[in-house]
Amino acid sequence: MAMVLPNHASATGGGKPTRPGAVAPAAKRGLVAQILDTRASGILLVIALLLLWEATARFGWVQSQNWPPFSAVMVALYRNILSGELLAVIGQTLWVTLRGYLLGCGLGIVIGFAIAMWRMARLTLEPTIDIMRTIPTTAVIPPLIFVFGLGDPLKIFAVAFAVVFPMALSTASGAGAIDPIYTQVARTFGLPRSYVLRRVYFPAALPFIMAGLRTSLGLALIVTVVSEMIAGNSGIGFYLFQTQYAMRVTDMYAAIILLTIVAYLINRLFLTWEGRVIHWARTREAT
Amino acid sequence: MKLVTPQTTPINGQSIRIEGISKTFSSHGGTMLAVDDVALSVRPGEFLAIVGPSGCGKSTLLQIIAGLIPPTSGRVFLGDKDVTAQPAHMVYLFQQYSKSLLPWMNVEENVMFSFTHREQLSKSAARDRCHEYLQMVGLTAFHSYFPWQLSGGMQQRVAIARALAAEPHALLLDEPFSSVDALTRLDLHALMLDLWTQKRFTAVLVTHDVDEAVFLADRVAVLSHRPGRIVDIVDAGMPRPRLPVTTHQDPRFIAVRNQLLARLLTKPDAADVPAV
Amino acid sequence: MSLPFKRVIQILPGIAFIAALLLPLELATRWNLVNRVFIPAPSAVFATTYDIIITGQVFAPLLTTLSLLAGGYAIGCLAAISFGILMGNYRRVYNLFEPLIELLRPIPKAALLPVMILFLGLGPAMKLTTVGLATFFPVLINTVQGVRAVDPVMINTARTFGHSGAAILWRILLPATAPYILAGMRISLSISLIVVIIAEMISANGGLGDVIVYGQRMFLVVESYAWLVIVAALGFALNFWFRWVERRTTFWVSPSNQ
Repeated sequence: MAMVLPNHASATGGGKPTRPGAVAPAAKRGLVAQILDTRASGILLVIALLLLWEATARFGWVQSQNWPPFSAVMVALYRNILSGELLAVIGQTLWVTLRGYLLGCGLGIVIGFAIAMWRMARLTLEPTIDIMRTIPTTAVIPPLIFVFGLGDPLKIFAVAFAVVFPMALSTASGAGAIDPIYTQVARTFGLPRSYVLRRVYFPAALPFIMAGLRTSLGLALIVTVVSEMIAGNSGIGFYLFQTQYAMRVTDMYAAIILLTIVAYLINRLFLTWEGRVIHWARTREAT
Repeated sequence: MKLVTPQTTPINGQSIRIEGISKTFSSHGGTMLAVDDVALSVRPGEFLAIVGPSGCGKSTLLQIIAGLIPPTSGRVFLGDKDVTAQPAHMVYLFQQYSKSLLPWMNVEENVMFSFTHREQLSKSAARDRCHEYLQMVGLTAFHSYFPWQLSGGMQQRVAIARALAAEPHALLLDEPFSSVDALTRLDLHALMLDLWTQKRFTAVLVTHDVDEAVFLADRVAVLSHRPGRIVDIVDAGMPRPRLPVTTHQDPRFIAVRNQLLARLLTKPDAADVPAV
Repeated sequence: MSLPFKRVIQILPGIAFIAALLLPLELATRWNLVNRVFIPAPSAVFATTYDIIITGQVFAPLLTTLSLLAGGYAIGCLAAISFGILMGNYRRVYNLFEPLIELLRPIPKAALLPVMILFLGLGPAMKLTTVGLATFFPVLINTVQGVRAVDPVMINTARTFGHSGAAILWRILLPATAPYILAGMRISLSISLIVVIIAEMISANGGLGDVIVYGQRMFLVVESYAWLVIVAALGFALNFWFRWVERRTTFWVSPSNQ
């Protein structure tokens, strides 16, 4: 029997609360209601805000050097991409992110499995991980400048440091939460340990690993940008402050927009890949 | 548990009358008529059951009576008062008891949740009332347990105690016994009849279990396949008190049950023709 | 008698591992195998950390950072929870703001620091806003998800007993959503810690981020590491505190579906 959801389903006769003040005159009501009941209202809001940005800057309603019109930012974005300036900067950032991410995640997955499969590994490593994973990565960077200098190794280390511990923990919780029946089945058939690891533990932990990989991806990008701000000589974090000091605010905004688009696309791509890898585990996906 | 004969206890329930109730749902594409022009009246203190095939709009009808969802057209009266689309003093007992008990409150807090906001009671008075009803369902010892620590049958008993502790004019039961095992169900039937005999509230039960409907109710209304319409109302005239073993063997029980089953098992189109 | 003994045995490998990490470093610095100017002996770092705490030097930076963190975190959480409840509950509010949030969410919030500085300067307003923004989105997304996952049976139960809208909010919606909200707040806590430290490094406000970066610029190597130990302890303590809060508020979640 279908229950009527009080919040989400709509029923004629008004099953959900809508504020009476928001209702338009009878003739227009159909269209307004249609806009309000779909994402159209939200897209209109975004367009309206962008127009407001444009208008306030263009007509000088907001008099500020920090407030270039939206269209000027988009032109700068286009120009700086074409000139290769922004591509070089974002390329430096992504190259650091990628290396740190792969290093940290790879190490984290190995540690995670070790913890889940051997009690001794858990007893040995867990206290250290518990201490290390709560350290805010930003604080680690300045002292490490003494060790690594200002180059890429410092930033790669920072990114790997930020993702390795969460990654180890989510892998361990995935491999540790495996239903004992799987390992028992594997044992009744007398399968070798390496085979069990590959065909039983790994697939069982995969949804957790993927969830960890996805969270780590965002974290890796933030830490790259932040370490470029602290130990600046390249990358978009450095570029943002460089343009800000030089009062090239339009270029600064363009860089932020590009960074946002890149972050969004990376996440989208990852979600698509994740959906393919663990298509069999959609309901078990860890939140 | 002592059995009290109905004649000696005063009736607490009020009458329920519904007139011309229809309900249309609109989803993405089109509209669906779920309940079609239903009229029904329930006497004060009566136990009425509504049976019908799944998807016939039984629960929708009951939720309209409860004021949880508004009807597209029609009126609901409790006593002489028009209570259409407002949760009046009628309590709805959900099938999904495990979701209707609030997991962050223990048994006692769950029961008190039903009445302390309406009535200014001292802490000890509220607790006394809570324990009175917990005792009726035999769960006094579990007052400080949390829902997840109880079995399904026990959770449903808490839900029943909570519903009755609100001392409602009418109790609306939405297949409350369908998700427990068969023995627990018989147990809960007996408990429900016992509580009804003691408190004499008006009860409307929605179910697809014909045996359950006949065993518990004074009258059984049959709802047709979608859209839901009342196609028959049958008296289940077995004497009370009713007992699980003997009542199920009563020739009148068997006759009424067979009549209802025959009504429900006919083709949906045939069921649209009102009974003569 | 045997139980405490067993526990001691169980924590031994963990301690041994930490010792195995620190001891070679200690010896290498003692025997001048590494440049002691850049890599100090762990014993020296811990001694300095002890000094910083004992002399009370620790309090001013710690309080500065904690008040910024607490302020920004509280503002961000409160705004996100109330807005999230509106969005989760009212379809039209959700429709109106969902695309905007989808656009703003992927911005790495630290990248907004230069913009914040342009508009708000280097003072506490800039740091509070950045921390608040970094906190806001994870909590918001989780709250919306949580509210939409509340079972309608629960809300109808409250309605059938005649509870008011406010009672439904306080006694059903908020407790039912709490596990989701807390999951978001946990993510936000670690992000806002990262953000508050970087904001302090840039604005030289005397907070923990500032003293670490000052140590690095002035070549106070041992001090820089010592302050790092203090920040690490702060992160550990905050995490510990958060777990306690989490246990206290969601004790009712049955162990099977936790």
